[in-house]
Amino acid sequence: MKILVTAKRVEDPESKIKVKPDGSGIVPEGLKYKINPFDEIAVEEALRLSAAHTGDVVVVSIGTKDVHEQLRHALAMGATKAVWVNHTGALDQLAIARLLQKVVEKEKPDLVILGKQSIDDDQNQVGQYLAEFLGWSQATFASKVEALDSDAEKNKQPGLKLTADKKGLTVVREVDGGLSTLECSLPAVVTTDLRLNQPRYASLPGIMKAKSKPIEELTPAALAVDVAPKLTVTKLSSPPARKAGIKVADVPALVEKLKNEAKAF
Amino acid sequence: MSVGINRYQADLKDLSFVLEQFGFSGIAGQGPFAGWGPDEAQAVLKETYRFAREVLGPLNASGDREGCKLVDGQVVTPKGFKDAWTKLYEAGFKSVSVSPDHGGQGAPQMLYVLVEELLSGANPAFNMYPGLSWGAAELIAECGTEAQRKRYTEKMLNGTWGGTMCLTEPHAGSDVGSAKSKAIKQADGTYAISGTKIFISGGDHDLAKNIIHLVLARVENAPAGTKGLSLFIVPKLKVNADGSEGAPNDVSVASIEHKMGINGSATCVLNFGENGNCRGELVGTVENLGMSHMFKMMNGARIAVGLQGLATASTAYLNALSYAKDRKQGANFKFFKDPSKPRVAILEHPDVRRMLLEMKAVVEGTRALVVKLAAHRDQVLLYQGKDDEKAAYHQGQVDLLTPLVKAYGSEESFRLCAQAIQVYGGAGFLKDWPVEQYTRDAKIYSIYEGTTHIQSMDLVGRKLGQNGGANFQAFMSDVSAFVEKHRAHPTLGKAIESLGTASEALMQVAMAMLGWSQSDKVALVPLNANRTLMMFSQLAVGWLLLDAAVKAGEKAAALPKGHADLPFYEGKQASALWYARNVVPQVESASKLALAEDESPVQISDAAFASVDA
Ligand SMILES: Cc1cc2nc3c(=O)[nH]c(=O)nc-3n(C[C@H](O)[C@H](O)[C@H](O)COP(=O)(O)OP(=O)(O)OC[C@H]3O[C@@H](n4cnc5c(N)ncnc54)[C@H](O)[C@@H]3O)c2cc1C
Repeated sequence: MKILVTAKRVEDPESKIKVKPDGSGIVPEGLKYKINPFDEIAVEEALRLSAAHTGDVVVVSIGTKDVHEQLRHALAMGATKAVWVNHTGALDQLAIARLLQKVVEKEKPDLVILGKQSIDDDQNQVGQYLAEFLGWSQATFASKVEALDSDAEKNKQPGLKLTADKKGLTVVREVDGGLSTLECSLPAVVTTDLRLNQPRYASLPGIMKAKSKPIEELTPAALAVDVAPKLTVTKLSSPPARKAGIKVADVPALVEKLKNEAKAF
Repeated sequence: MSVGINRYQADLKDLSFVLEQFGFSGIAGQGPFAGWGPDEAQAVLKETYRFAREVLGPLNASGDREGCKLVDGQVVTPKGFKDAWTKLYEAGFKSVSVSPDHGGQGAPQMLYVLVEELLSGANPAFNMYPGLSWGAAELIAECGTEAQRKRYTEKMLNGTWGGTMCLTEPHAGSDVGSAKSKAIKQADGTYAISGTKIFISGGDHDLAKNIIHLVLARVENAPAGTKGLSLFIVPKLKVNADGSEGAPNDVSVASIEHKMGINGSATCVLNFGENGNCRGELVGTVENLGMSHMFKMMNGARIAVGLQGLATASTAYLNALSYAKDRKQGANFKFFKDPSKPRVAILEHPDVRRMLLEMKAVVEGTRALVVKLAAHRDQVLLYQGKDDEKAAYHQGQVDLLTPLVKAYGSEESFRLCAQAIQVYGGAGFLKDWPVEQYTRDAKIYSIYEGTTHIQSMDLVGRKLGQNGGANFQAFMSDVSAFVEKHRAHPTLGKAIESLGTASEALMQVAMAMLGWSQSDKVALVPLNANRTLMMFSQLAVGWLLLDAAVKAGEKAAALPKGHADLPFYEGKQASALWYARNVVPQVESASKLALAEDESPVQISDAAFASVDA
């Protein structure tokens, strides 16, 4: 079974993120980056599936050469090979989905797993577009019934389950108010939610092996995708700073303020 | 006891800087380190730090509060330790520098010490278990027979089995040579072991399937003292011919100690052979080499203890710094009596800044000292068999610096952790914050693996004069070469010159030591040994901080104004200048104290110490 996963490079939420004064973007200096946590879950899930059913895991990232750091991380976790789509500059979700579509057509995986969204733009669109462009089944927000401290999780059992005839996939999805289970036929696109698994650490031997695993370079031009954005971000701004609190004299004053100023009830 | 939140913090930027300060890129990629480069080092540090914070850090306070228990003769470790042990070995961080022959990654020691800093810093008590297992395995790999290597090392390195070092006995602490444990050779070539060992870290636990004890014992009719000690492999469970765990080997846990700190680490009293059924194998094939074998492990363990000190002090500093940015108290010192002025973060107060800058400087300087030592170990490996002279120089520096790393790293750690409490004020004294535990944990570092005085006597009694004094002289000429090269530095020149004065002061005391040792003032040698070690360490740290500052200045000069890395380089220069102005001059004053030849501690009669009986 061949699985393709994504590894987007995103800002590490632990570093201080500042918007540029002119609102044209964020200040890149001094920032740390990491693999999008949802994608990391996708990589983990793919590794578990490929361990259970034998097969390769191909990891894709789009961006400047900096994304090699995230590709190497996924390779260190255990992915077999990496594809780097070399591109500098902004991309919208449509363009990303188109690029991934071409990579998928080239790699011909049985399954694509990607994060339901990335923690920088929080768009939640690429997986859905990709399934549509490919004409494949899709299952979003994959999760699982077992808890993250269960034995199944400790034994690294995959949450996505192949059907008995190996032609379909059973996916537990996180939906408002609970979980729903659906079955889809392969090939399919699955997007991951947070409770699907706990990603492993890149092991030390893994980090050393990653060095000699191949990273194939592609470009939007080679994939014949027009990446001119149809959607542009015109301005970014920080959320307004919280105002200082005030002290109220007594409970009736509090109720009065809640009612008339905060309009809480 | 539930598992808590992580408090561990490390400044990865400084770790990376120090790697380059001592030429990691030059060492990596060469000879045995062919597979390594700066990118791999960064990836390893990043992932180890993440592991340290996510897995080990949350167990630090809970492990301390819960402690270990002895249940039906077996040690039960705190909640979460077993899971952390499994995850640690899955990720393989413990075998970063282990030779590929034994399933490791063969990384340079420079990287190994920083990985250890991260693991120890997040949870020193936990890290003792894998740390000792690793040390014991490396000893067997180096000193054992081929069969012993096959039988033990791999399992001890991959976490299937644990390991310990058993030296201490009730009457043999610092004086290891008076150990009474006995070994009687059996017809099958094994030895019947009997005796009691105390204070054995990880002497029993529930993390691994078996525990391999390395036990110092005396074979019948062997000479007295350290010369007559042999080292034995004594498993908790006998090992079957196929390598599986067999019947118990008559090793029992009599009790576990109740301690001030590192409470997650079980400190055990072990009885060997109470029923006459305990069997051990001699490490290697020759008896009475126990101490020299044990020293292989002890040299590494002494470095590891200095590292524990560095690691704990570093997170104490970073936590105190965070707190100082947050806690508001008093007005800025310029208007300290004016109640109408705004209350400021305590970081604005000069005395708090002084405490924090001292912590920063000592932490960074200790880190540099440890990594320098590790770099010399790497160079030994690179030059061995190719350039004997260079290899000997590097080995000489390793020998010379080991007692400094152990003693300076541990003494300063406890002092700095206590100072971190001072930065917090009353909050620091509470269990709500991590620094009181750091302080309790840090106290053991200056005691086990040889007390500070044992290190100091190793320095003045052995290391200064080793190779006819060549190692010490080589160190001193490295310092003076640095001074010569940079004495005209526009901003650091004056500070760099002060190293010259300190060097002379240290030399004078070293000469005086030699004189005292051959005179009737011989008591002045032990009386000044700790002082000499401290002077030497301060000179070394002052030098390495200034070396870092020179390099940081060069890096900063290449960056555009406003670059986000500039404050880091500014900080490196601030550490060096503070240390050069406030600590390095203490070397000269200490030399005056030493040369005053005060013998009052040995002159005062026992009765004069106090008028209490007994
Ligand atoms: C938590 C903990 C864990 C430990 N883990 C281990 C372990 O895993 N394995 C193991 O074998 N041991 C272990 N030890 C033992 C430890 O190494 C000893 O405690 C240490 O070597 C000091 O010995 P001692 O306690 O007997 O003190 P002593 O030797 O009685 O020393 C007391 C004081 O006298 C001084 N002193 C002693 N002899 C001299 C001398 N000749 N000249 C001048 N001053 C001297 C010492 O510096 C010290 O200040 C551990 C101890 C503790 C507390």
